[in-house]
Order: sequence, then structure tokens, then C-alpha cells
Amino acid sequence: METDRYLGKSIIVTGSRRGVGHSIAEYMLAQGGRVFGFSRGESMISHSNYAHYSLDVGNAKDVQSAFFKISKETDAVDIVINNAAVLTSQYALIMPAVNAQAMVNTNLLGTFFVSREAAKIMKKSKRGGRIINIGSMAASLEPIGDSIYAACKAGVSTLANVMAKEFGSFGVTCNTLGITAIDSDMLAQLPREKIDQIIQSLPIPRYATIDDILNVVNFFASERSSYITAQTVFLGGIN
Amino acid sequence: MMNEALIQQIIFDALESLNTELPDDKQIAIGPDTPLFGSNAEIDSLSLVSLIVDVETALNGEHDLEISLTDDRAMTREISPFSDVRALKEYVLELIKEGSHGN
Repeated sequence: METDRYLGKSIIVTGSRRGVGHSIAEYMLAQGGRVFGFSRGESMISHSNYAHYSLDVGNAKDVQSAFFKISKETDAVDIVINNAAVLTSQYALIMPAVNAQAMVNTNLLGTFFVSREAAKIMKKSKRGGRIINIGSMAASLEPIGDSIYAACKAGVSTLANVMAKEFGSFGVTCNTLGITAIDSDMLAQLPREKIDQIIQSLPIPRYATIDDILNVVNFFASERSSYITAQTVFLGGIN
Repeated sequence: MMNEALIQQIIFDALESLNTELPDDKQIAIGPDTPLFGSNAEIDSLSLVSLIVDVETALNGEHDLEISLTDDRAMTREISPFSDVRALKEYVLELIKEGSHGN
């Protein structure tokens, strides 16, 4: 089994404290990568190749400041995993404005701020890079109660597609992985019955595993994927 | 210590880097009054973005100055700080003096 897929790579993982982001960060560390994790809370990872930045990705100034510090630690950022997200599932008619705003700030603007600061370092390093957004099945299935969340996740695909055009000339690819439900803290916030029903309607009617996610992340992150950009891959047969 | 001459050199370096990506008939004549933006500029919009990012990353990375050249003020000024090399140099100096890190 391969153990050094990310040896020599510097990787940013947002939302690295819990759930999918935490698993991706730990996997990349196990594969020899150097990981810079972003989350609002304190680090949950202890590893010699891991550095944690407690910040709100929706705050442009905080993101810029974190990248300023990272640029002192490394000459290159090879891979960005834009995973940080918050979710409030509620009917649009009664969705609190503050929750709607928080989703836009973290899920959409956070992805934008992190991607553009990373792209500046990628451009300067002349090593190219991989920007991988973690999207969601919600973007395609558009479930009731997830108006803003689904719109944000559709938005991160669009962000990647536009950035793919803007960053392509200096070797940066931008893609989106639309994940299906996976057992996580975020999923626990939702009614399980509703999610089970959605999962049963999929071509492959099961929950995602972290290996399903890592498989596509590895594909997008691969040096061989330099000709793969502006793509959204959904898990589980969603399109 | 950052001074006018050094800032101008950073901008010149970024323009020289840009020239390496441009065909021979599109080369930019580099000087203190080289237009960067507007009807007199020979630089297209994407090249201008590239130039600004190169100057910003040089200030950040090589000179340890946490400065953003693309904050709200830059975009809303009546006279653009990106109109020519001199204007950009003066804008950078202004940001350094203010210790402004904008977003």
C-alpha cells in the first residue's frame, strides 16, 4: 500500500478540525504531506508535519494573514482542499438571516478567499497547484430546507470553473467533488430519516465512506491530472 | 528598509517577468511612467492582475510586508492607483506608511 503519495507536498485543508476535513488532513499526513489546517476552533491533530491556524475562512483579512504566515513556512502550496462548511437546514420561510449569512460567508466566500490567496503562492512558486472544493449532493438534488446550503455548494462548483479559467495559465487546476452523505457531525444535525430517504433514491444507495472521498481527492490532486480542470464529480451516481 | 527606488524596482521586476510571457511585438516599455491601466495602457486586464499579484507577493514574501493591493480603497479611488508605475509606487508607499493591511 502506498504511503508517500503526498511526500514533499504542502497542503491546505480547511475545516480540518472535524469530519471529512479532519479525515483528509490525517490521510495526507499519513501519506507524507505537510498539512496546514484551517478551522475556527483549536487543532485536533497532533503531528510534526501539521500546523493549525484558528481562523474564520469567511474573513478575508484573517485568511490573507494566515497565508502571509504560511508563505514564511513554505515556498509552495501544492494542494488546497476547500472543505470548511456550515449547515443550517431550515425552510426558507423561517430561515434566520444570521444562519443564511453564515453559510454564504463560510461555504462560498471562504472558498473564494482561500482559493485566491493560495493561487497567488501557486503562481509565484511556478509549480502549479490543485484546488479541490468539497461540494455536496445538495447542489444537484436541491432538497427542501437546504436552499442556501445547496446554492452555496452549487456556487463552489461555479467558483472552481471560473477560477480554472483564470488560474489555468499558471498550471493551477480547480475542481469540485460533490460528496454524498457520510457519517459526520454535520450529518448528525439533520433528520436521519430524511437523509436515509435521499440515499435510498441514489443509483448506488449507500452512504459515502471516507475512502470514496479520498479516491476522488487523490485523482484531482494527482500530478497526472494536470489536464483535468473545471470538473465536478459527484459520488453515488448523482449528476 | 523600503524606499521609493526599491518599490519601483519591484514593479519593474514584475513588468520584466510579464514581458517574458508576452510575444516580441507586445513587449512593454518599462519606465516610471509606463501606463498600466486605461486607454494608454498596452497591458490587458489579465496581465494587470498578474502584475499586481506579483508585486503584492514580492512585498509579502521577499520584503515581509503584509500588504494587500486590492482592498476596497484601491478599487473605489477616483484616480486608480494602477494607472501607471508611478501611481502604483506611490500607493504602495502610502500603504506602508499607514501600516494598512486592507482586505
